[in-house]
Amino acid sequence: MKKTDVLIIGGGPCGLASAIGASSQGAKVTVLERANRLGGILNQCIHNGFGLHIFNEELTGPEYAHRWEERVAQCENVDINTGAFCEELNLLKNGSFYVCASSEKGLLEYEAKSVVLALGCREKPAGSILLGGSRPAGVFTAGCAQRLINIDGKKVGKRVVILGSGDIGLIMARRLICEGAEVVGIYEIMPQSGGLVRNITQCVKDFNIPLHLSTTVTRVVGQKRVEGVYVAPVNERLQPILELEKFVPCDTLLLSVGLIPENEIASDLGLEWNNVTNSFTVDEYYQTTQKGVFCAGNVLHVNDMVDNVSNEGESAGKNAGLFALKGLDTQNKIEITHDEHIKYTAPKYVYNTGNGTVKISFRVDKNYKRTLISAISGGQEISKRPAPAVTAGEMQTLIIDKSKIVNDLHLQITVLD
Amino acid sequence: MQDFEVAIIGAGIVGACIFSELTRKGVKTVLLEAGSDVSNGSTKANSGLVHAGYDPEPNTLKARFNIRGNQLYPAMCARLKVDILQCGTLVVANENGREGLNTLYERGLINGVQGMRIIERDELHEMEPNLADNIDIALFAPTGAVVSPYLTCIALCEEGVVNGGTVKVNFKVDKINKNNDIYEIFAQNESVTAKYVVNCAGVGANEINALVGAPQVPLSYVKGAYLLLDKSQQGFVHHPIFPLPTKLGKGVLATPTLHGNIMFGPNAIPCEPHDTTVSAENIAEIKEKVELSVKKPNYKKVIKLFAGVRVVSGNDFVIEKQDNENFYYTAGICSPGLTAAPAIAEYVVEKMHENGLEFKPHKFVARKPYTCTEKMSKKDLKELIKTKPSFGKIICRCEKISEGEILEALNSPLKPVDVDAIKRRVRPTMGRCQGGFCLPKVIKVISSYTGIPPENVCLNGAGSEIILDDKNTK
Repeated sequence: MKKTDVLIIGGGPCGLASAIGASSQGAKVTVLERANRLGGILNQCIHNGFGLHIFNEELTGPEYAHRWEERVAQCENVDINTGAFCEELNLLKNGSFYVCASSEKGLLEYEAKSVVLALGCREKPAGSILLGGSRPAGVFTAGCAQRLINIDGKKVGKRVVILGSGDIGLIMARRLICEGAEVVGIYEIMPQSGGLVRNITQCVKDFNIPLHLSTTVTRVVGQKRVEGVYVAPVNERLQPILELEKFVPCDTLLLSVGLIPENEIASDLGLEWNNVTNSFTVDEYYQTTQKGVFCAGNVLHVNDMVDNVSNEGESAGKNAGLFALKGLDTQNKIEITHDEHIKYTAPKYVYNTGNGTVKISFRVDKNYKRTLISAISGGQEISKRPAPAVTAGEMQTLIIDKSKIVNDLHLQITVLD
Repeated sequence: MQDFEVAIIGAGIVGACIFSELTRKGVKTVLLEAGSDVSNGSTKANSGLVHAGYDPEPNTLKARFNIRGNQLYPAMCARLKVDILQCGTLVVANENGREGLNTLYERGLINGVQGMRIIERDELHEMEPNLADNIDIALFAPTGAVVSPYLTCIALCEEGVVNGGTVKVNFKVDKINKNNDIYEIFAQNESVTAKYVVNCAGVGANEINALVGAPQVPLSYVKGAYLLLDKSQQGFVHHPIFPLPTKLGKGVLATPTLHGNIMFGPNAIPCEPHDTTVSAENIAEIKEKVELSVKKPNYKKVIKLFAGVRVVSGNDFVIEKQDNENFYYTAGICSPGLTAAPAIAEYVVEKMHENGLEFKPHKFVARKPYTCTEKMSKKDLKELIKTKPSFGKIICRCEKISEGEILEALNSPLKPVDVDAIKRRVRPTMGRCQGGFCLPKVIKVISSYTGIPPENVCLNGAGSEIILDDKNTK
């Protein structure tokens, strides 16, 4: 059994930044990555648009990952293990954590003072949205199709319907057209797309792909291979109006119907859970309710931009390093409350330690044209930001000066029109 | 053309049990399957239950073979080295159902079910905390059990092969000739001969009977759909939980699966013979009915919908011999068919023996079970990875399946090549992401092991290629 200060599960954008953060504090760092190379899902995201905020340029996914790999390579005391699948995470009696990973080299066992969950997320399969009909070949999650096309160099279909307008679905619509396929249409059950505005413009509008809002796929048809799907508009309760159901011939159905944080590895630790994010709650250090277990990036909440993921990861890693070496100040814990327009906040807890700033990330329930985002503490407005064009698909943030926090913190959105 | 003593048509659980029974008695046997893999019809899509035997009307074949099959299962599973969860089953009801439960209890006694008892409210809710609040009583039958129906069927077929039998998949019987007491059975490109033929074709039973002029059996087809939930729901129920049965069947149950998932279903809808589609109405019906027995099922954790077809003939199984011929047929093997199959096999093989089929001394060869790294001790797994590193390389993250396990399945006696065939054996793509992550990797492993180009790797039989490239586009 090897001993380490900070053990990071996942070597994608969050894990790489965590390694840098932890190393910056002087901690001994171990990274476990299940794939044979670092970078996670970025490796199959060959489109550009990554790194605008951090590097001020538009990088592809592999380029963005490479930048971080180079940064990690400069760090001291970082032990990287690829092809290492983490199978077990337990709290030991001495307050440390036992981690076991499978690899071709054997079982890798560690005792770590702190752990960063950086496992990213997975796509919802057809069953999870109770998609009926038959079960032929040709139904893919968008990310699975992305891997087949971009990593394996294989085409997935000729005539494609996409259900859901999350970012991966939009990106894949454009990708499929570039590979010579016909994208018959994108069907989105909600009245608005869940994707970024720039993706709707660059991937859908620019390629004249029909985007059908408030419409869904009701069932799949085909014995061996997809022969088509039925689609129908939905009513205000999101129920399909079956009288208006119509058949759309296609050989492939791509699903971009949501992402779920991949946090099962920690499910036995009894961490506080948030039903909105389908993940754990964290404090301003990205620490879960189990001291020493940190959680950031898409395994915490599904981000829209990788830059956010890296920033969260770096912060979580830094704090995990501090925890392992010195400890964190966790006095005067305050729960952040919010109004009904806000679905959740990450972090959920801040500490009234009186100095510095804290960045609160959150998502709103639907699209708004013009709003004012504000934070209230002790009955006073302590931070505010006018926010035009707030969409459900984009992460919102508000930075708060901690010296102004009294003993509560409430986030609210005033809808101006 | 190959010569056999016995040809069995249909590699579902009934055909597989007969195949296993005959090969273990030294009979040269071939098992013919129209599909691309064994266990690919009703056998793969049912509740996976070994029923105790209180349901069938006394003095029916169903009652007789259910009881006998239930007795045979534990030893059969031990012999095959497949798991069986001997947890017992519950039929639950509110106070109004007490009479119905007593009727089942009495029927169970007549049929010979051992150990049943009526459980009252307090004990019951302690056993199953997620029962609906208005459930007051239950019939507990400790001999009820849960198996993996497809893995049991596959294991039987593998056992038959390692004991000298032959399995031919993609063998869709389209003609049967008889000359000098020898049957010649034709598929598209080949034929086999046999002195005895057993029809276990399930949904296709009448088509096969028609080829030899055997009687047509009145058959109807009833679809049952299921919702399969993620393993995170393990423990939601600890036993298969049935409502009181009706004329239409045993009703919608909530059950643990052998692998730790939770499953709800089946409903019962008359259908066309091969219709396994799931409709929105099916889903709504299952939800409505399962909530009569259990409270607050978490449908957000559903990972897969599927449906299977029950073949029904009146109120009983049909197990017959064509007059003056060595042609046997089974039909209408609906529930409790999975339970009854080993007993049906015992019966059919004995009848064939009475009619002249000779058994030969045979040295039994045990089937080799699949390695399951998840169940191994750390010590054993370390040793295994040291000699075979591929067992440390995880391909399917949700079910924690290593490359070594997939390679072992590819090299197993039936030499499966389809993604779903590998899934049924060692479970990659069976978990919560349903292959979103591992499907491309599984295709690669299959392709590099078999030499089949990735474009030609199929999900489930020819025509179900996953990659749709210029090479394989119609």
